[in-house]
Amino acid sequence: MRFLLILLLLFPVSALAQEHALTVDLAEDHVDVTTGFDGAHLVLFGVRNADGEVAVVLKGPEAPVAVRQKQNVLGAWINRASVRFEDVPQFYDYALSVNDEEQYDLAVRKKEQIGIKGLDFEVKDEDVSAAQKKEFLAALNRTKREQGHFPSEAKPITFLSDSFFKTEFYLPSSLPTGAYVVETFLLKGERIIDKRVTNIKVAQTGFGAQVYKFAESYAFLYAVLVVVFAMFAGWLSNAVRRKR
Amino acid sequence: MQLYLPIAEMTISADLIFAVSAFVGFLSGVFGIGGGFLTTPFLIFTGIPPAVAVGTQASQLVASSVSGAIGHWQRGNVDIKMGLVMLGGGILGSFVGIFIFKLLQYFGQIDFAISLIYVVLLGSIGFMMLFENIASSFFSKKTVRKEFNTLRIHPIIAALPYKMRFPRSKLFISALVPGGIGFVGGILASVLGIGGGFLLVPAMIYMLGMPTLLVAGTSLFQIIFTTAAATIMHAVFNHTVDAVLAFVLIVGGVIGAQIGLSIARFVRQDHARVILTVLVLLVCFQLCYTLFMEPGELFSLEVLS
Repeated sequence: MRFLLILLLLFPVSALAQEHALTVDLAEDHVDVTTGFDGAHLVLFGVRNADGEVAVVLKGPEAPVAVRQKQNVLGAWINRASVRFEDVPQFYDYALSVNDEEQYDLAVRKKEQIGIKGLDFEVKDEDVSAAQKKEFLAALNRTKREQGHFPSEAKPITFLSDSFFKTEFYLPSSLPTGAYVVETFLLKGERIIDKRVTNIKVAQTGFGAQVYKFAESYAFLYAVLVVVFAMFAGWLSNAVRRKR
Repeated sequence: MQLYLPIAEMTISADLIFAVSAFVGFLSGVFGIGGGFLTTPFLIFTGIPPAVAVGTQASQLVASSVSGAIGHWQRGNVDIKMGLVMLGGGILGSFVGIFIFKLLQYFGQIDFAISLIYVVLLGSIGFMMLFENIASSFFSKKTVRKEFNTLRIHPIIAALPYKMRFPRSKLFISALVPGGIGFVGGILASVLGIGGGFLLVPAMIYMLGMPTLLVAGTSLFQIIFTTAAATIMHAVFNHTVDAVLAFVLIVGGVIGAQIGLSIARFVRQDHARVILTVLVLLVCFQLCYTLFMEPGELFSLEVLS
């Protein structure tokens, strides 16, 4: 199966190879979250036609995130301080062809959000000090990592030949749904030789998707159905008891 | 078995949730409680967002209160007029509760608020039950009777306007009192995901002066529709009722209750009360612990939309 895929991929790649320094494709362009979903693997193949290092970034849908810190108030631990970060990807992972992302230029890493050490998010609130932002950003990274939504280190990129490479990401079952993007970079020093963007859709399918859609578009009817089912179950429970 | 919850957008262990709801159903069969106060904190503890836990648990309460209310209804132990007045307050209360919930969420205090209200409620109920258990083993009280409630109603309550006649309960009392009790029940249903029977029943006995024979049936009758209203409002305003989770909770609860009811015959009433008291206090202490012990991780995230 995988061999066939590689063959299939190599074919168009050789035709396109003249125009781009970098060509990539995903084994699947969508991830289906079904009722029994317990994670998935995302495989990316690519070809580089120029000298340079490869970096792949996988990003989930972006949203603002509030990071809250508990403080002790009269003995109880209550959320007090809070910092809002803008455009935080709900899922983030990356792969590198080098051992350490710090071998890349810092400005490029920051601009393109390559690597966990270069990740930084905007804080609009001007009252937040630099030290506080740093502390809360670290907490954001740590918590996302514990949820399995941020990586602790880069995934490797395997070279199957001098130019043909492959990398694989694991998507956990708690994966947020939405539009994902895979950005592949060919880097040399502070220069980005080529950048390819591929989109993946992570969406619920089948029964779950229908429930979700129905609950969104016909919220009242949906709730009434849930209540009717509950009443029926309660009645049935009572009827069974009386029969015995 | 792993099960993906379409509304919570997360995978849960269906076996675990099923086992817990069956266990709570079992307890409700033995003790005649709704058990929301056990299930909701548990769901939140397993990582289900509080909003989904509360909204969905409300629908499970519809099932358990229907099954409980039918028996009382058939024996004629429901004061329908009283129930409807309480329900009026209950629906208003669940509406207000939804906004309290949203407000607390906005300020990032929903987890804290839920835990704190539980600690206060369960703590006071638990200790009251504890003292009553101790007291009842020494004295036998005769103030509350089944057919007539001989308790004197507080003069402030007796002086309230909008008096109504409740023939079934043989009461002439201000509609504000049952309405107010229902209102509090409605808030509890939509903020905490509980029916609030443990609060409604004593309030109906001691504040309304209802005959105890009618109290259980009337409160259950009222809880059916208040929790139904809370379910509908959570679904419409917050989109936080998960049908798949509701299914697991309801089926688990129904099966557990059947087992519980057949065992209940062998459990002595006073023993049951002691076990229930211990259970209430344990949940209270557990929540106290999470509130007052320094947590391992001080930071938490919330995705804002």
